[in-house]
Amino acid sequence: MNPSDSDASRFRSASTDRRGERDLDDLLIHVARGDQAAFEAIYDRLAGPVYGVIRRVLRDPSQSEEVAQEVLLEVWRSAARFDPAMGGAATWVMTIAHRRAIDRVRASTAAAEREQRNAEIHAPRDEVAEAVEASLDRERVRRCLDGLTEIQRESITLAYYGGYSYRQVADLLSVTLGAIKTRIRDGLIRMRDCLGVS
Amino acid sequence: MRLLRHDLHALTGVYALDAIERGAERERFTRHMNGCQSCASEVRGFREAATALAFAAALEPPPAMRAEVLAAVARTRQLPPEVRTHARPRRSRTRVPWVPWLSGAIATAGIVIAVLFGFAQAHTQQELNQARAQNQSLAAIEARAIAELDRARTQNQLLAAIMAAPHVRVLSQRSAKGGVAVVLLASVRHQLIVTTSGLPALPAGKVYQLWLIGPTKIVSAGLLPAAKSGQTAPVVASGVVAGDKLGLTVEPAPGTAQPTTTPIIALPV
Repeated sequence: MNPSDSDASRFRSASTDRRGERDLDDLLIHVARGDQAAFEAIYDRLAGPVYGVIRRVLRDPSQSEEVAQEVLLEVWRSAARFDPAMGGAATWVMTIAHRRAIDRVRASTAAAEREQRNAEIHAPRDEVAEAVEASLDRERVRRCLDGLTEIQRESITLAYYGGYSYRQVADLLSVTLGAIKTRIRDGLIRMRDCLGVS
Repeated sequence: MRLLRHDLHALTGVYALDAIERGAERERFTRHMNGCQSCASEVRGFREAATALAFAAALEPPPAMRAEVLAAVARTRQLPPEVRTHARPRRSRTRVPWVPWLSGAIATAGIVIAVLFGFAQAHTQQELNQARAQNQSLAAIEARAIAELDRARTQNQLLAAIMAAPHVRVLSQRSAKGGVAVVLLASVRHQLIVTTSGLPALPAGKVYQLWLIGPTKIVSAGLLPAAKSGQTAPVVASGVVAGDKLGLTVEPAPGTAQPTTTPIIALPV
C-alpha cells in the first residue's frame, strides 16, 4: 500500500475520521426527520461494518443478514432517539448491531450450533479472505490489538467477536472472573488510547 | 462499601462489550452508571474503541439486502423523539399544590413519573426481542413491531395529554399490605394514571384489580400489569367523577366484575 492510498482511506474511514463522524451525525439527524436519502447514505457507510460485526458473532450468513436488516431498520425507526452528546452516530449504530447479535446468540440454545461456533472461533483468519477491503481501519485495529497482552487480546476478541459473556470467557481461558473483568478493562483502555479515541 | 463500588466500576469494560449477561448484575451496573459519570464516560470511550473493532470486521453485505432494507424503510413509521424524562417531573411538580402529608409520596411520584414514559417503549422493546428470539420471520416481526409501537405511542400520547391537563394533582396511598400507589389525577379530563411501587408479589392465579368506587356503584378500572423491578407500568382509568374512590383489591385471575375482597387501597379522588 503506498502512502497516498493510506491517506485516502484515512479520510474515508468513518470510524476514525472526525469529519466523517460529524457527517454521519448530521445524516442521522436528517434520518430522524424522515429523510430517506440520508438513510441511504448511512446505509452505504455503515451496512458493511454492521453486517461484518454481526457475521463475526453469528457466523451463519442468512441469520446474519436477517439481524443486519433488523438493525438497519431499527436505525431508521429510532433515529430520533440518537443523542450526539452521548457519542457518535457510528458508535450508536454499532452498539445496536453488536447488542442485537449478542441477543440472538444468547437466545439460541441449540447446543450443536454452540459447538459449531466454538469450533470456528479459533479460526478467525478465514474471515480475511471475505474482506471487502483491507482498510486502514483494519490495519490500525490489528496493530492496536497486537499492542495488548495475549490474555487481554484473547479476552476482548472472545467477548466482542466471539459473543461470549465474560463468565464464559473466564471459563474458556481458565482465569478468575475478577481477572477477566480487569484484563478486558485494561485492554480496552490501551485500545482506546492506541486508537486515539477522545 | 468502597470495595463494592470498586467492583462495580471494574465492569465498565465487559459492559461496553455486551459481555454481561442480562440479569441482576447488569441491572446493578446500569443503575450505578446512571450516577457515576466517570463510569459512563469510560463506557463511551470503550464503545468507540469497540466501534473500531466493528469497522475492522466490515464485510460486503449481500447485494439484495440494500433494496430490501430500503423497501422496509419506505413502509415503516419512525418513532417519535423520546420524551425527556428529566423535564417531565419538574413540570408536574410545579403544578402540584404542596400537601404536607404527601411530601414523602411526592418524592416517590417524581421517580414514578420519570419512568412513566420510558416504560411503554421499553416493554415493547422487550417483546420485540422475545419475538426475535423465537426466530420469527422478518416480515412477521416487522408487522408486530409496527402494531406494538403504535400502541406504545398511543399510550404515551394519552399519558402526555393527561399530565399536561390543567390542575393535575398527585395523590398517593400506602397499601395495607405494603407498597404504595401513586395517582396522577386530571379531574378536568375525568382521567387518572395509576402506578404502583413495591406491592407484594401475588401467587399464581391472583391479580391486582383497580376499581372506581362511587357512592352507588363500583366499576372495574382494569388490572395492574405485572411489576417490573417492583414497579407497575402506568394504567389509565377514565370516567372518574368527584366523590369516587380509587380502590385496589386482590382478585382471582383474570379479574372479576365486582370486588370480592377488601380493598388494600381506597384513595378518595
